[in-house]
Amino acid sequence: MIGYYVRLALKSFRRTPGLTALMACAIACGIAACIVTLTVYHTLSGNPIWWKNGVLYAVTMDSWDPKSPYDPAQPGLAPDQLTYQDATYLFDSDIPRHKALLTLIGGALSGAPGQSIPAIAFTDATTAGFFHMFDVPFEYGGPWSAAADRGPDPVIVLSRNENDELFGGADSVGRSILWNDQRFRIVGVLDHWRPEPKFYSLSGGGTGDFGGTTDAFVPFRWDVTQRHWPAGTFGCWGSSPINTYRELLGSECVWVTLWVELPTAGQRRRFLDFMNAYWAHQRANGRFQRPRNNHLWKVSQWLKMHHVVSDDSRLLLRLAFAFLAVCLINTVGILLAKFLRGAPVSGIRRALGASRRQLFEQHLVEVALLSLGGSSLGVALGALGLQGVHAMYAGSEAGYGAAAHFDVQGILWALALAALSTLVAGVYPAWRIGRVSPAAYLKSQ
Amino acid sequence: MRIDILPLLCALRRNPTGAVLVVLQIAITLAVLVNAAWIVNQRIAQIEQPTGLDTPDTFGMIVGAASSEFNVQQAEAEDLAYLRSLPGVAAAAMTGGIPLTSQGAMGATLWPRPGRGGEAEGTNFLNASGNLLQTLDVPLIAGRDFRPDEIRTPVPGKGAQPPAEIILTQALAQALFPGENALGRAVYTADSYPLTVVGITRNFMDAVGVSGGPLYHAALIPFAPGQRSYYALLVRAQPGRRDAVLRAARQHIGASHPDGVIASLETFSSAKRAFDADDRNMAVLLAVVTALLVIVCCLGIFGLATFNVGTRTRQIGIRRAVGARRRDVVTHFLVENAIILAAGTLLGSLLGLAVGDWLSARYGLPRLDLAYLVGGIAGLWVVGQLAAWQPARKAATVPPSVATRTV
Repeated sequence: MIGYYVRLALKSFRRTPGLTALMACAIACGIAACIVTLTVYHTLSGNPIWWKNGVLYAVTMDSWDPKSPYDPAQPGLAPDQLTYQDATYLFDSDIPRHKALLTLIGGALSGAPGQSIPAIAFTDATTAGFFHMFDVPFEYGGPWSAAADRGPDPVIVLSRNENDELFGGADSVGRSILWNDQRFRIVGVLDHWRPEPKFYSLSGGGTGDFGGTTDAFVPFRWDVTQRHWPAGTFGCWGSSPINTYRELLGSECVWVTLWVELPTAGQRRRFLDFMNAYWAHQRANGRFQRPRNNHLWKVSQWLKMHHVVSDDSRLLLRLAFAFLAVCLINTVGILLAKFLRGAPVSGIRRALGASRRQLFEQHLVEVALLSLGGSSLGVALGALGLQGVHAMYAGSEAGYGAAAHFDVQGILWALALAALSTLVAGVYPAWRIGRVSPAAYLKSQ
Repeated sequence: MRIDILPLLCALRRNPTGAVLVVLQIAITLAVLVNAAWIVNQRIAQIEQPTGLDTPDTFGMIVGAASSEFNVQQAEAEDLAYLRSLPGVAAAAMTGGIPLTSQGAMGATLWPRPGRGGEAEGTNFLNASGNLLQTLDVPLIAGRDFRPDEIRTPVPGKGAQPPAEIILTQALAQALFPGENALGRAVYTADSYPLTVVGITRNFMDAVGVSGGPLYHAALIPFAPGQRSYYALLVRAQPGRRDAVLRAARQHIGASHPDGVIASLETFSSAKRAFDADDRNMAVLLAVVTALLVIVCCLGIFGLATFNVGTRTRQIGIRRAVGARRRDVVTHFLVENAIILAAGTLLGSLLGLAVGDWLSARYGLPRLDLAYLVGGIAGLWVVGQLAAWQPARKAATVPPSVATRTV
């Protein structure tokens, strides 16, 4: 039966090629616009580590000035980083499965073979837990040990890009390199790892939320013993001047990010209890004079809090849906018109014994064929549109052009969207044509 | 010419579904069209805001330590002497960050009264250690530049004395002291530390504007921080000579410090382009998608008109046979289309105003200008009638003899 319906549908297309092309174009336009805007939105709002969303948490505590909030625009929020004293105290808890301290430091790498001048390297000072909790892939070697964290040992992990530049992509594990004027042993080289957005550290000075990369990782405690000033955003309050590194460590300046991995609700409760107890103790000693605001942030909430998803992309998403709505209404209208035009033929088929159900099926097959043509055209148009977006955003400071590519997930989304939307659009006209009374059309013949 | 609306309305009532669907399309399209045009206009206005700087001729460079041996003060003095001796350089200065970018930015909040009294204003501090205003090419509109003895330079091991003076942009001065003269007044930091306003400059963009704050809030302080591992150099070249100066400077400075590296090099024009990129991209995306939307809507109008003409061939023939001219047939279809457009634009106006209200409440956009609504209605009306024109013309070619045929 399906074969017969397909033949009927093709015949109907041939009878009204103009209307058919019109419908296919309308569907294609709607699908293409949706693909482009949805992909941009998906990229901009994506959680690059969604599979650990309820497991990884960023820790914040409001240690800020009792007289005014950290961010006057959002007075309910604590600073997004911790003071050194709070971060290291909380880090020493053994409740989390993995935990990582993180701060951005500036530096330059040199001493690789054939390298004449030092290469600037955005370096994150962190702890070994970082590589475990964020499922960071390694090409050569691996993370440094917990002992290297405590040492602290001068060990370094390079990004794949940095290793390509300095060692031509060769296995450099075990070799030594100069970070500023300090000699480091390379223990690992990352495989391609470039989460977008760079969720783990959104306050990186030179590197943006998008397109930002970390070139090298060194142990956090090494950074502290070497007294490297943080190079990322850091906020201070209070009137005592900070001239020495020792003063920085004891100050109320916030410049350290703490991530913890807490897979179970029990662990989360215990860690919050631990934070609250610490908070109460510190408050009794005169710190934390603002209302208690100890918080564990899921990655998705963390991204939301940092406004990584811009208002622009939300607007575009709404626009895409308005567009799709217009295209669907359009398709319903034209399909209805087309089917009703063929009503006399349908009337005869009904009179000859075709059931309503059969007529419905026949027209739905026609809709499905049309949807197939329209959406293939739409996916092609969408791919073209994304090329345009890619070119457009290439110069953007946010740099998410690289991210707005047409991936497999995008294609699946688009096809599902296309199939669903046109079927929805086709159901009413197909049903409506089944309701026509055959007598009315037989009479006029 | 007389047009009978009543028979048209009757015809629409006989088969309303198609017309209702087109009315809905027109309504949504109009609502999107006017609001998108309004947003695009805002974005273009954003992009066209002047930087207040000599954008085409100036660039900035950040030199960072690659070793703890790096002597920042000596290196910056050497670089500055080199740059000032370079042919083609109009002015050069040392500071803490590159304006128009957030690189090296030092955010601060200022209050007009001590103890955080009055309305706080966010700004960025640019460290001025001589010649900065000349290099930025920003004129003073009141007061004076810092005197050399006011500039605090760091003492080894102790850092620098805090500054006592400040120069504000006009926008910042007005925000802190609305309707008053800020010159000679003191502004206060969070811990009530006073800074006397000695000069007010013409507006220019700095890090605050770039990161989404008030566009022209900027302040200069006569101060170089003690603890730092980098410095920024700003260079204004003579007109047309920027690229040659930049090449020479990059080559010389990149090679002259064994313990330092050029961490970043940015021309003001590329910084401004990067700053505008998001606005520009949003404007382009909105414009393209909206244009597509209008096209789809026109296809809908065209489709309905074609269908109506196709199903009414016999009736048209009868009208022609009893004396209607071709022009009357065309008019009939265009008036029918006009009724649909009227309903669609009416509904669309309400929807568009609602969307505009929602946008201004939710995203803080300025309220939709009614001129845009009027323009949108007029534009949609014109393209809507053009879309129905071809089917109407086709209807007029139906010969009267059709009426006499039975099948």
